Amino acid sequence: MAAGGSALGLHPFGAMNALAQTTTDYRALVCVFLFGGNDSNNMLVPFDTTGYGNYANLRGPIALGRSALLPLTPTPEFALHPNLPEVRALYNSGKAAFLTNVGTLIQPMTRAQYLANQGTRPSNLFSHPDQQLEWQNQAVSGRTSTGWAGRTADRMNVRYNAGAQIPMICSLDGDTLFCNGESTQPVAMGTNGAIPPYCADGKYCPSRLQQAQQLATFSSGVSLVQADNETTSNAYQYNNILMNALGSVPALQTQFPTSGGNPFGAQLKQVAQMMQVHAALGVKRQIFFVGGGDFDTHGAQMEIQAILLSQLSPALGAFYSATEELGLANQVTTFTCSDFSRAFQPNSSNGSDHAWGGHHIIMGGAVKGGQMYGTFPTLALGGPDDSDKNGRWIPTTSSAQYAGTLAQWFGVSTADLPYVLPSLSNFSQSNLGFLG
Amino acid sequence: VTVNGPTTVHVGTPAQYTATVVEASNQLLANQAVTWSITPGAGTISATGLYTPPAAVPAGNQVTVTAVSTQTPTVSGALQLALLDPVPVITSATATAQGTNYLLDVQGNGFLQGAALLIGGQPVVTTQISAEELQAVTAADGAQQISVMVQNPNPGATQSGAVTVQLAAPQTTATAAARLLDQATFGPTELTIEHVERVGLQGYLDEQFAASPTYLPALPAQPPAQCSPESITTVCVRSNWFNNALTANDQLRQRVALALSEIWVASSYNGYMITPYANLLVKDAFTNYRQIMQDMTLSPNMGYFLNMLNSPAAPAGQIANENYGRELMQLFTMGPDLLDEDGTLKTDSSGNPIPAYSELQVEAMARALTGWTYANADGSTPSNFIFTPNWNHPMVPTGLRHDASAKTLLNGVTLPAGQSATNDLTDALDNVFNHANVGPFVCKQLIQRLVAGNPSPAYVQRVAAVFADNGYGVRGDMKAVISATLLDPEARANDTLTGDELETSPAVQSGHLREPALWAVNVARGLNATVANPTAAYPLVNMGGQLVAIGEPPFGALTVFNFFPPDYVIPQTTLLAPEFGLENTGSVIPRLNMANYIMHNSASGLAVDFTAAGTLGSKAGDAGALVDYLGMIFMHSQMPTNMRTAIVDYISAVPASDATDRAGLAAYLLVTSSQYKIMH
Repeated sequence: MAAGGSALGLHPFGAMNALAQTTTDYRALVCVFLFGGNDSNNMLVPFDTTGYGNYANLRGPIALGRSALLPLTPTPEFALHPNLPEVRALYNSGKAAFLTNVGTLIQPMTRAQYLANQGTRPSNLFSHPDQQLEWQNQAVSGRTSTGWAGRTADRMNVRYNAGAQIPMICSLDGDTLFCNGESTQPVAMGTNGAIPPYCADGKYCPSRLQQAQQLATFSSGVSLVQADNETTSNAYQYNNILMNALGSVPALQTQFPTSGGNPFGAQLKQVAQMMQVHAALGVKRQIFFVGGGDFDTHGAQMEIQAILLSQLSPALGAFYSATEELGLANQVTTFTCSDFSRAFQPNSSNGSDHAWGGHHIIMGGAVKGGQMYGTFPTLALGGPDDSDKNGRWIPTTSSAQYAGTLAQWFGVSTADLPYVLPSLSNFSQSNLGFLG
Repeated sequence: VTVNGPTTVHVGTPAQYTATVVEASNQLLANQAVTWSITPGAGTISATGLYTPPAAVPAGNQVTVTAVSTQTPTVSGALQLALLDPVPVITSATATAQGTNYLLDVQGNGFLQGAALLIGGQPVVTTQISAEELQAVTAADGAQQISVMVQNPNPGATQSGAVTVQLAAPQTTATAAARLLDQATFGPTELTIEHVERVGLQGYLDEQFAASPTYLPALPAQPPAQCSPESITTVCVRSNWFNNALTANDQLRQRVALALSEIWVASSYNGYMITPYANLLVKDAFTNYRQIMQDMTLSPNMGYFLNMLNSPAAPAGQIANENYGRELMQLFTMGPDLLDEDGTLKTDSSGNPIPAYSELQVEAMARALTGWTYANADGSTPSNFIFTPNWNHPMVPTGLRHDASAKTLLNGVTLPAGQSATNDLTDALDNVFNHANVGPFVCKQLIQRLVAGNPSPAYVQRVAAVFADNGYGVRGDMKAVISATLLDPEARANDTLTGDELETSPAVQSGHLREPALWAVNVARGLNATVANPTAAYPLVNMGGQLVAIGEPPFGALTVFNFFPPDYVIPQTTLLAPEFGLENTGSVIPRLNMANYIMHNSASGLAVDFTAAGTLGSKAGDAGALVDYLGMIFMHSQMPTNMRTAIVDYISAVPASDATDRAGLAAYLLVTSSQYKIMH
């Protein structure tokens, strides 16, 4: 993606397309979780003179310089953080959209309601783990032990992935609530991909492997042993399947930005490689979880967020190119999530503190891109969107509506929506329309 | 002349001889004086007939004592004596338990080469330490005491007096000892299991509380070659850490320090930051939780990580940095919701959790903790914020940058306007420390790290009650809390079960997955691993990379939320099991692979003796004995029968002559099994 957006519309790898298109009914969702709370106030910035002036005045030491911002062609009153050129190119070419001021909500909530402590609000607002879990589980209240992707798999796995060799959901960032269903579980894979159990026992290696696997089949009355036996058995099985599948295809030609420990590049590369073998694995629907951290910019925000976005943007760009290379661009939708956005008012360490609603990126050939969805908040401290006085925006769109739009595109039926997203019915709009 | 006196004389014991001179008529001569002599010249005899034997018995042990009349030198008399070995003397004798045996140690003098210990009059195999010390190993056959003597060799086979030695009865079983060691240390070894059996669980904890702390050594001013540049000096510190965890005697302190590092998470960017921070936790592990709060809050490493360092009073248009103030309450002391003393959530009338603090209280806490910076290099306080790191000294207050406005904290406590940074910090930490959440919140996590991921509310409550009051009116006493955690009936409930009983009907559905770093040290200690190249600088640097690969480089969590969350529930179960947050189909294989490295002494920097002459290899001829030994070390002698049978059968198929293979394969299968990975 060295040339920015210029290559985005091209399909340079036609031969690969034909190969991949042997499975026509395929769709995938890719969740990119920005752990720590991405300050999306500095991702999507008002660019008109008045709007930018207000922004710069309130953000003070953490205001981005106007000249460095990347203006958006279809929506010229907004611009992007300087380190998001690939995202801008995708947006400008209609392959990406933004959803603004979206966050955890159980039901619609106004400033007046919030201040009067009326209505059900998400539990432990402004707390990282709580808000991460609530973004992932989309429960009616409190915590549940399943995530909305997992519940999606519960309802769709048999219909679409009967006979699949691996679960519908794959996490590239360890165990996350997002991926867990009531009756389905994900496969997790490290950024090194599937790796075999190493063995230096020479002629005893085959029997050692067999014996170790056999021990994991013994049922145990100790619940934790039983649970670990199951995980261990699955690990042996899935690694073997993925090793075989991934070893049988040529490497993707798309170059991913994996140097410097870029978690997004490394993980999205693995996602693309998994997609490449989806037919061999027998999956027609897949959900992937990708994550990267350090967005908790309480200090030195300008420097830290700049680095993180400079990892995210080329990784997203490369991933979109890879879906084109695979001929799957219209069948893969990628979207960002984060714990929360950050207070508009800066703190005295050149950073910002925990807040609530924020803006997110949706990317893919099926996205009705070049548009902003939701309602952009009024950037005023103590203003109509502020939960108090520091610019912690009350979301005007629920993360459940965000998930609902993605889930419906993915194929969750109307009948299954209440199971997957129980709070969705609290909102008038169950589909935000950003996917065609 | 007639000579009178003993006919046997022990080396080391002088003998007095007398002479009687008579005339032919048998009348005593008026002049009884005689001249004494001996032949051969073994020893000396005085003018008064006192014979002093030589230092050792000569080749021929016969000595003739001759007395010659002074008045009539042609008249003499003689007596033949036999020189015998000295009489051994016992000054003290003790019996120290060694597993099912006792080591008898006898101190005294006159113990000749070949001296033997007699127990109940019967000689036993004796090791001679010196002329003053003998040792023997004797089986404990249930006797309360034994009678001990020392017998020197011939000539004479002389015996000491008998001494009675009391035998201490085992205080606990090998299973209970191993379970405690799994919970309280970096893992059992053969020797420590035997030791705890004898001193008992409380006795062991008392010993450990008294053991002097082992600290991480300071890094040299310039990053060592093994971990240069500065940004990767963490690797050297992890070498130091692994070495301490593997070998330090203050095992309980080291283990608690690791647990605390997973509550007070401060992920450091380099080794110069980690070392003093980790050493604070070692220093404070047995103090008071309030002391830990103080030292962690003022740790510059923590200050850097969570932005309390150089956090000033906010100018107009800005707010004070909330990071540390929030996480101090949320993660280090209280948790976000109100708790009952048993650690369960308090709920409102609708059944919902009740927040423990508000956003406004977070903001107030943030303001209370403003105004702290690095100390100067000499430890003095700068007049304003400085940006030259000093990781070795607590942060210091600069009144200049402190927000001195009033703050309303928890439970209605208000810090008045105008207080110093120091007074605000003291009051704020006291305010948090005295919140009712702290005991259950902290104690539950200590239980989770040491004993069980899913403790019963009653267990949490019992330990939290000790946190609230150690019995002497002191809140937060860590020794009392640690003892209560480890000696609670729920922690000990499975001590008395066999492996099969534990499998089918455990007394408590308990235990927890060994977190990766703990598992790695557990395996190394259980195999008596040593450092392969102990003279090298930072010989375990490779271990740093290994710990990354298995997901837990200590002091290197990606976020303040530790490597796994304390409230993680295994999907599709109700099992609270924090460490399973790291256990998934992607993370299992790297741990298997580290086991493979350890069994082949590669990539770890460790050396384990798998040779036929080693501890494991020497048992490998008998597959059952080998597996039972491993089961004692790693599974508290509680390996279920089906697992034992499977491994024994597998090992039996490997030729007995391949002792190294047998030992390594058996150890691999054991330490990679879920039965072992779950400490239970």
